[in-house]
Amino acid sequence: MEERVLRLMRKGAITCGEETSTREVAQIMMVNATHYCVVINRQREVVGIISSRSILKAFGSDLDRTRAGDILVPYTFTITPSTALKEAIQLMDRRKIEHLIVVSDRPGSKAILGLLHVEDIVDRMAEG
Amino acid sequence: MRVYDLMDRDVVFCFPDDSVADVVRMMKANQFRPVVVVHESGEVWGLVSRLAVIRFYGQDLSRIRAEDVMRPYRIEIDPQWPIETAIELMKKTRHEHLIIVDPHAGPRRPIGILSSFNIVQYMSGIETGHFEQLLKMPSEWSTADPE
Repeated sequence: MEERVLRLMRKGAITCGEETSTREVAQIMMVNATHYCVVINRQREVVGIISSRSILKAFGSDLDRTRAGDILVPYTFTITPSTALKEAIQLMDRRKIEHLIVVSDRPGSKAILGLLHVEDIVDRMAEG
Repeated sequence: MRVYDLMDRDVVFCFPDDSVADVVRMMKANQFRPVVVVHESGEVWGLVSRLAVIRFYGQDLSRIRAEDVMRPYRIEIDPQWPIETAIELMKKTRHEHLIIVDPHAGPRRPIGILSSFNIVQYMSGIETGHFEQLLKMPSEWSTADPE
């Protein structure tokens, strides 16, 4: 039977608002020891994702004035718990993204359920 | 601040002939850090990232060699560089990790890795000691709690 994202995804996510400053996002990532932060709007819908690389690219700008909304990578593709794991891995590989946001299976839903992390896939591979 | 002050000093490395099965086990045992591929002489040859190995999910990893999945690495970073120079280089080359080589210990011997996450730490303005203190707080609370 084909493996699904549900098997390896982690429920919940570290989030921030679009108005959060870049420095605060960096602090959120540090304090939570994560390499990402999901950006949500006032309706708690996913807008995009910020990775360590996004923060790095903001180097040189005023970190207290640039906002999460300015540096995020827009979230334009979706995976759900029922997406085939192989398909999700291909998506990570193709887009060079280490964290995929998992949303509800409900059509048009942008409510976040959790994330699929590259570490969890490597962990599974190490188990053999 | 210098590159030396911020880089991770624990370099996880393997040889070109090591299998990807061994590489993923090394990653797991070392907080999922990327693995530096070194030549027998100890010289840096390439880097195996996490994204490079996951494309082989479900395959026989013992038959794939580190050399086949690594990204060749040719940049030389001196640990004494100002951190700003390294950040600009990471932005320009789109590298998530820079391998730091010892300029005094023969050709291209790796002594550290500078990751984009190290740069997040620098840009957050949270000093290492303070950050560790923040992380320790919940466990101290739970220990102090009689229940």
